[in-house]
Amino acid sequence: MTLTGVFVRLKLSLLRNGLRQSAGRTAAYVVSAVLAVLCGAGLVLALVVLRGSEHAATVAVLLTGLLAVAWAVMPLFFPSGDETLDPTRLVMLPLQPGPLVRALLVSSLVGFGPLFTLCLAVGSAVALSRGAFAAVVAVVAVPLVLLVCVALARAVAAGNVRLLTSRRGRDLAVLSGLVIAVGIQFVNFGVQRLGRAGGLSALDPAAEVVRWVPPASAVAAVGSAGEGRYGEAAAGLLLSAAALGALLYAWRRSLVKLMTAPDGSTLAAASRPSRAGSPGWRWPEGRAGTVVGRSLRYVVRDPKTKAAWVTSLAIGLIVPLFNALQGTGSVYLACFSAGMLGILMYNQFGQDASAFWMVALTISSARDAYAELRARALALTVITLPFVVLVTGVTAAVLGDWWALPGALGLSFGVLGAMLGTGAVASSLFPYSIPQDSGFKNVAPGQAGLAWISLTGGMVAAALLCAPLVALTVWLDATTGPAGRLLLLVLGAGWGTLLTWAGLRLAAPRTADRLPEILAAVSRG
Amino acid sequence: MPEQVTEGPAAAVRVEGLWKRFGEQVAVAGVDLVLPAGRFVGLVGPNGAGKTTTLSMVTGLLRPDGGRVEVVGHDVWRDPAAVKARIGVLPEGLRLFERLSGRELLAYTGRLRGLPGDEVDKRAAQLLDVLDLAGARDKLVVDYSTGMRKKIGLAAALLHNPEVLFLDEPFEGVDPVSAQTIRGVLERYTGSGATVVFSSHVMELVESLCDWVAVMAAGRIRAQGTLADVRGGAGSLQEAFLELVGAVGRDTGESLDWLGGAR
Repeated sequence: MTLTGVFVRLKLSLLRNGLRQSAGRTAAYVVSAVLAVLCGAGLVLALVVLRGSEHAATVAVLLTGLLAVAWAVMPLFFPSGDETLDPTRLVMLPLQPGPLVRALLVSSLVGFGPLFTLCLAVGSAVALSRGAFAAVVAVVAVPLVLLVCVALARAVAAGNVRLLTSRRGRDLAVLSGLVIAVGIQFVNFGVQRLGRAGGLSALDPAAEVVRWVPPASAVAAVGSAGEGRYGEAAAGLLLSAAALGALLYAWRRSLVKLMTAPDGSTLAAASRPSRAGSPGWRWPEGRAGTVVGRSLRYVVRDPKTKAAWVTSLAIGLIVPLFNALQGTGSVYLACFSAGMLGILMYNQFGQDASAFWMVALTISSARDAYAELRARALALTVITLPFVVLVTGVTAAVLGDWWALPGALGLSFGVLGAMLGTGAVASSLFPYSIPQDSGFKNVAPGQAGLAWISLTGGMVAAALLCAPLVALTVWLDATTGPAGRLLLLVLGAGWGTLLTWAGLRLAAPRTADRLPEILAAVSRG
Repeated sequence: MPEQVTEGPAAAVRVEGLWKRFGEQVAVAGVDLVLPAGRFVGLVGPNGAGKTTTLSMVTGLLRPDGGRVEVVGHDVWRDPAAVKARIGVLPEGLRLFERLSGRELLAYTGRLRGLPGDEVDKRAAQLLDVLDLAGARDKLVVDYSTGMRKKIGLAAALLHNPEVLFLDEPFEGVDPVSAQTIRGVLERYTGSGATVVFSSHVMELVESLCDWVAVMAAGRIRAQGTLADVRGGAGSLQEAFLELVGAVGRDTGESLDWLGGAR
């Protein structure tokens, strides 16, 4: 059997094995497969409907460009997503680079990603082709688009294997979840903008550039051929073909290098000592300062913690601010920021993962547990308190509604305090593991229910606890003058502090009693 | 026959009727152990014998289904404060706070244990020196090799000068140089009258290090006593061990007659 045949079979078995996992995973697998096929079919349909429309070329070209970007970025975000993607697994086999590249390329065409890409390419070709010559160009363009996309992913993956197998690369992959979470917010607001800015024609200038970038140039070539611009059509196809050649060449070169040079882990271990921040900085005495010091270092150094923080900070800023910028917001929406950041208090020990044993061994009474939890809340407050003040202030400035600022601040402090208090209780009663190596999973398999109870229950409790404060704010906001507004600020801060204190008091003895159970729950990741 | 241990304060660890089940699986099935103080104690057994589970329960990291554990006369579950202050632990398969540097990890651990900061920093510097980690003290633990991780874990366990040290597979995956360093530190530590309890499945190591051995298999203690007692008439601890766990007389590969034959 040829090498290509072996690899295609390997890929098919990997796809088939996706169906043989646990019931939940099989369901997720089937759902995502069906979704990919449906999306692909829908895309073909939409593009066919666009046929003849003046925006057809713009849409097709930009979609192809976007898809190519997705292919290029994919291997960086999902380094373990495709086992056949990692050429270092093949190092021990007696393989020649030429046949290996061919076999890997062909096997890469098997899968849902390529199927989706094929749908897009076919849809674009149908939408743009007019006349016999355009049809001929389309027959060349469709496989070209598919091959360029796949080769692009392969070349990027092979070129970055060294980065991806190193610790820094894995840290990067963990941060990718954040890029997506924050990116969605921006896309959301971007689409809203586009909706008001006069529709698709706003995209034409972008399409003018992208149509010369492979593989979109192959799609554009179909349109050019239909309009009789044969030279442009030929140039577009040639550009894509040249890109394919260059990508295959680059891929082959990095494959050869990978299989004959020492791998990233060896190099990383041999060189470059990691810098560990400020060796001159002295740790304070006692548990409070020590725990705060450790927590803040983790915000900067641990990719998972950093991702959670940056996501919370970014969304906590974007939602109130962008709404204010669009003139639809209210200063009170800034409380959302406090709530978003307060979530970080939940599952405190899950954030330690199995390193929690080091903490567990130093807690032998409710007093120790109280000191530990209080220090963690303090570490959170060091960042969240100034941030919440900043977001509320900026939102008030954008809206020009300074009157509402004290009340909104008071409410934010109340919400933050309630989240810290309920978060401490949830941390001790419903701990769960956070898988450390994935940017997308935040709950270990089998503990999703626990996480859901912890977060939802906690947030409902926090909302109920803040209800009196909200009622008071609404009432005073309508009736009172400056003194009353300042009173709201003081009351909010006091209520928040009280709730945090009560939550910590409630959580401490339960934490001290449940140390082995907590350790078992957070060590699964 | 196991040597009769003198009753009273001489026992560093006393375990009675310890049980642990994980679902259907019985991991530890009624362990009774008396480990004398001031000794180098080896807990040996094949993979899956229940060594890690036993050590986790003895150190208070895992709640037993039944039984009693006393460390230097204090009940682990009733008097955790007294026990936790007196023991040092190096578990297997659990993380450290790996995003701290070696020095920061020790500074953090010592202060959590309530030691004065100056004392912590002094001891940490000495431990890093002795364990040959001084050059990597500002490197993040996540970038340490296996041997370096075991050494920094050992340093964190020793920092508060515990009376009893529990080490789960301290030599697993450790290179010979690091192993020798760890050995030197442990020998000096037991020489001062402290107790080391460590688990391993490398018999030669246990034989050369320990003066007291407990053999575990399938969740039970098969033998415990001085090295000479447990070894008995057998030539080496390895042979005595294989006999105790019932692994003597297995097919050792005669049926693979093609292996090494004509190619």
